[in-house]
Amino acid sequence: MTARVRAARSSRRPAETPFRLPPQPGEVIDRSRLVPFDWDGRRYVGFAGDTITSALAAAGVRTFSRSFKYSRPRGILTASALDPGCTVQVGDEPNVRASARRLAAGMSVVPQNVWPTLRYDLRSVNKVVAPFLTAGFYYKTFMSPRPLWPAYERVLSRFASGGWTSPDAIPSYYDQRFTHPDVLVAGGGPAGMAAAVEAARAGARVLLVEEEHELGGSLRWGGAQELEALGRLRADVAQAGIEVLVDSVVAGRYDDNWISIAQRGLPDVTERLIKARAGILVVAPGLIERPYVFAGNDLPGVMLSTAVRRLIDLYAVAPGSRAVVLSANAEGDAAAADLDRVGVEVVRVLDARRGEDVRRALGRGTLSAVEVADGSRIDCDLLVTATGWTAPTSLLNMAGNQPVWDPLAARFRPGEGLPDTVLATGGIVGDGSVDELVAHGTATGALAAARAGFGSAAVVAPLSPHPHPALFRATTHGFVDFPEDVSSKDVMAAAAEGYDSSELVKRYTTATMGPTQGKLETVNTVAVLAEATGRSIEELGTTVWRPPYAPISLGALAGRVSPPARYSPMQPWHETHSAVPLVAGEWIRPDSYGDPAAEVRAVRSAVGIIDVTPLGKLALHGPDVPNLLAAAYVNKWAKLDVGSVRYGVMCAEDGVILDDGVTGRLGAARYLMSTTSSGAATVWQHLESLLQTEHPDWRVHITPMTTAYASINIAGPRSRELLTRLTDVDLSADAFPYMRVRTGRIADVADCVLWRIGFTGELSYEIHVPASYGLHVWEALLERGRDLGVRPFGVEAQRILRLEKGHLIVAQDTDGLTKAYDAGLGDLVKLDKDDFVGKPELLWQHEDGAQQSLVGLVPVDPSIVPAEGCQIVDGATGILGRITSSRRSPTLDRSICLAYVLKQYAEPDTVVTVRLPDGRRIPATVTPPTHFDPEGARLRG
Amino acid sequence: MTARYSALSLLSRGLRGRNWPLVWRRHELAPTYDAVIIGAGVHGLAAAYYLAVNHGIRNVAVLDRSYLGGGGSGRNTAIIRSNYLTPEGVRFYDRSVKLYETLASELNFNVMFSQRGHLTLAHNDSSLRTMRWRAEVNKLQGVDSEVIGPDEIKSLVPYMDVSAQTRYPILGALYHPPGGIIRHDAVNWGYARGADARGVQIHEYTEVVGIDVEEGRVRGVQTSRGHISTPVVLNCTAGWSSLVSRLAGVRLPISTHPLQAAVTEPVKVFLNTVVVSGTLHVYVSQTDRGELVFGASTDPYPSYSTRGSLEFTEELAGHVLELMPSIAALRVLRQWAGLCDMTPDFSPIMGETPVEGFLVDVGWGTYGFKAGPVAGEAMAELVATGKTPDLISSFPLSRFADGRLVGEKGAAAVGH
Repeated sequence: MTARVRAARSSRRPAETPFRLPPQPGEVIDRSRLVPFDWDGRRYVGFAGDTITSALAAAGVRTFSRSFKYSRPRGILTASALDPGCTVQVGDEPNVRASARRLAAGMSVVPQNVWPTLRYDLRSVNKVVAPFLTAGFYYKTFMSPRPLWPAYERVLSRFASGGWTSPDAIPSYYDQRFTHPDVLVAGGGPAGMAAAVEAARAGARVLLVEEEHELGGSLRWGGAQELEALGRLRADVAQAGIEVLVDSVVAGRYDDNWISIAQRGLPDVTERLIKARAGILVVAPGLIERPYVFAGNDLPGVMLSTAVRRLIDLYAVAPGSRAVVLSANAEGDAAAADLDRVGVEVVRVLDARRGEDVRRALGRGTLSAVEVADGSRIDCDLLVTATGWTAPTSLLNMAGNQPVWDPLAARFRPGEGLPDTVLATGGIVGDGSVDELVAHGTATGALAAARAGFGSAAVVAPLSPHPHPALFRATTHGFVDFPEDVSSKDVMAAAAEGYDSSELVKRYTTATMGPTQGKLETVNTVAVLAEATGRSIEELGTTVWRPPYAPISLGALAGRVSPPARYSPMQPWHETHSAVPLVAGEWIRPDSYGDPAAEVRAVRSAVGIIDVTPLGKLALHGPDVPNLLAAAYVNKWAKLDVGSVRYGVMCAEDGVILDDGVTGRLGAARYLMSTTSSGAATVWQHLESLLQTEHPDWRVHITPMTTAYASINIAGPRSRELLTRLTDVDLSADAFPYMRVRTGRIADVADCVLWRIGFTGELSYEIHVPASYGLHVWEALLERGRDLGVRPFGVEAQRILRLEKGHLIVAQDTDGLTKAYDAGLGDLVKLDKDDFVGKPELLWQHEDGAQQSLVGLVPVDPSIVPAEGCQIVDGATGILGRITSSRRSPTLDRSICLAYVLKQYAEPDTVVTVRLPDGRRIPATVTPPTHFDPEGARLRG
Repeated sequence: MTARYSALSLLSRGLRGRNWPLVWRRHELAPTYDAVIIGAGVHGLAAAYYLAVNHGIRNVAVLDRSYLGGGGSGRNTAIIRSNYLTPEGVRFYDRSVKLYETLASELNFNVMFSQRGHLTLAHNDSSLRTMRWRAEVNKLQGVDSEVIGPDEIKSLVPYMDVSAQTRYPILGALYHPPGGIIRHDAVNWGYARGADARGVQIHEYTEVVGIDVEEGRVRGVQTSRGHISTPVVLNCTAGWSSLVSRLAGVRLPISTHPLQAAVTEPVKVFLNTVVVSGTLHVYVSQTDRGELVFGASTDPYPSYSTRGSLEFTEELAGHVLELMPSIAALRVLRQWAGLCDMTPDFSPIMGETPVEGFLVDVGWGTYGFKAGPVAGEAMAELVATGKTPDLISSFPLSRFADGRLVGEKGAAAVGH
């Protein structure tokens, strides 16, 4: 790279442009605006409107890349976005289509796949290696010795084609947009423009999308008559009030006309993904000219007729000096006429309709001669082929349509059967004069509008393809897939080996798997396969065209990346009080305020408050709530009085613990359910699923309330004293005992819910206040409790507190395998209930008995805190259990754990061995799960 | 018959312009086979191969209604690993990795198993805890696995944004050096060639339209190309396994979901590790051709559609760019979908059914490819001996009736 940069600095004098022609009638370049740019370390100047390749071709550059396998030089073939040999690196952007990308001032363009350099010819080396490098060669070698495969692989991967990326590239700006056109026309050629105009005239909102930089399709490189038609159509489009996107491509058609469009060429936006829900989609992509297969068909200087016409008529560039033209159709004849008109010597026109043919192209590095089928040899630097067309039926395929082979026209055509919302027009359907194409487009536009509800139904007269000779391969072998370096010989060898269906030959040779995804290659591949197997193209069919139609950047697909984050109303306070953030799923909440141990001590000795807003909260209303609770929880709910709360556990159908929480009865048919923070959405879905699929007759209404309330837990021996100062609810032990719920005012805020429950093992109250007053109540608690020693605490302190108390956390001390009986929750499971989710599984578990138990565990060395996930082992590899939670307890001044152990090791005082991640094995003693205040005196006081 | 593949034979045939013999031969259907395997994917072909090689049972037909390897075996993202969560899962997949490691030389077909290392990212403390758990279980089973921190991740994947400023910061990862990617088609073709060389008949484009059952026993299959008598039918299909089993009157607790994948244009190789993020629902690797291959979790609704959706690529792109923001200019070239047969416990169904002689190797969810060799080996043993090998004894169909579900949910869901 640095060598190139130096070279660039040393050659600031731009290259001459000897191949630039005098002004052409339809040219798209602005000769008054010069655009300087660098190519491969050298300075060039093009005109505004030039593509990278047209500007370089004007300067006589003919080689733009080397092929990845055989290192063959490659040049312009199509002069369009599909140009297989013209993929370049522009700055940080890899794989830029140089024949479609317009010049920008100061652009730094470098060739890809140049090893050792773009100019150095490795053909002599290739001659030796080529027989070895047949398609799929890597499946047959590099197998032994096995330890060497990584080295082989490194060499193979060095051949990977494409440009390069940089970890330091600064992502540019990408965007997305939604739109809802009545009619979306994909393709702005004559038929597409006419369809758009007619639909718009009928009153439909029309979006017209064209892949190239201007509307017009092939009219742009036509003669005076075509240019005149183009002018008329463009004026009609402008007057009809159509939204036109150029340099944009319809990339995919999904269910119900959900359409993706990659829009380029916007100021300051690299690429924009437009998502359109189109009433009617009109597919009008025209035709793609098909390359011809013969020896040397990839030499720079061999071009398609459309490439020649684009270079001459759009960019005023002479594609060569001495030309041979192989023509099977009018486009080929017109290319010959164009060449002649601009003074390129046309040495010979071979008329394929009369059986004339080429045998091979010859040249070192670039084309120097053509060998004709009759054996004669013609010196030339340009060989133009016009041997047929491919209909890009991708968008129709995505709508469920299967293309069929038309042997007369020698191309695939749309088959029968399209949804009513998808129409096709133009070259993809058939051939005709400009007037005939416009007429078909107009009728199709009227039909599209009618189907979208505008105007009356129209009849579309059919457009048939013209007969065309079936030309795929000359008598020699050449490339069927240029970027993949797959030749017709490879395809035949693969077929002979048994990879003889369209799909197998694709997978084995990689033909059609490159950047153009078969648009240039599929038909020739299938034709050669047909030749090899003696089957017909009809029989073989094509491979499935998959979205996207054209490659689309990750940036545009992603849009402006801004994953949502949820915060409690107290978050601003947390942030100004040195909270350490914890990313907990969707939520970001305080892990601690800097000293979790001190926070634990505050709760144990005085009072602490924690923001528990992320706790899931569901309001349940209706007479059948008790039925729902009984079905969802494993325990009983029929006798829950108004004013009471109860702890419950939910299991999934497989008996594995799903979630836990408390539910309180606020009124006769009014309940509030709490879930774990991470389980809020899952539980809501689970309950709705039960109601909607199992028990649609139950009258229950569920309202998610998680963010409607701000939730605070006030915990510690002085919590009652603190809360009493702020509420009118009687908090005395008799009036408001453990596991009860009350509603009332807190800090002058009405409609608050108070539960008396405890996760920390201390006397505690969980309050839910209307969210907009959350910060007010939080600050009031801190203000009024200052003399009591109140202190905020975070999730880390809460985890320590609950671990001291031996409370399990679902999804930490349980997992996707934990059954209720293993987790010590068996007493909650009421198998005598009629039915509940998971009952059959739990019955089996009950019969089998628990295999393991959740126990407390204390390392014999109190200073060692084994990592969560450490295994409890027996001998070298036996697993007896594992640690699910571990912390240093500030209260007990030692390490404590929760762990699963096999049942026979669950007795307290059993000594087991824990394997630490570094391989050390330490002894630890089994205890009951509760490490602190096992009687619960503090909780119930 | 079979020509040995080697660099020398490649060169000599190349120079002399001689074609290779058929990778697998074409046959007329025989009236009778000792066993019929439905589905010419990695599971069916491996089972056929091991039946012939390990048990000498060669009069076997493998039937497929389409081309060989066109189902899940040709649509997956070809990730191989054994860092599972349960000791049973680790043992099972470790055997598979071991078989994959020697497959190229055994089959004389380079399957290009690239053991480049496999990273499962942890974006929160709970996944970090699970990673530790998996690592510790793996180590005890002799499987190379360790939890590594952001700095080590950055040195393995320089493109990864391991800064704390991201929405889902990367706290660590489970690093599994023997994990990697493989050329999935080559595995299918290699097994097919190996089975063919030993007399197994492979019949593409041969659809099974009926299974004859008399008095609770399999008697034969009816196909689109004629009738076959056989005492043993092994269902190795994916996507349609419940429909095929129903032909024998066996109902499976399976629902079928699409699983989507996508590939970018090639760029020079910059990612030498498989990267998986469960939190962001994405896995990504780069092939030796330079393409990035992406996958995600299954679509949330059951369907038999193998079409891709736009939403999938949008979400995928967003998540990939969160991990590697500097590759926004890379373009998605192609997207596709495969079908996954999901069972209630996210574990496969292997073994006998109520119909004698009708065996199943199905329900492989999103993790079937990595188990192909070991499942084939075990199913071949079951066919040959009539005894269920220990390695697969926890996966019978009967477990759904008697409540002995297998739990690999934690490791299998989005675990690629």
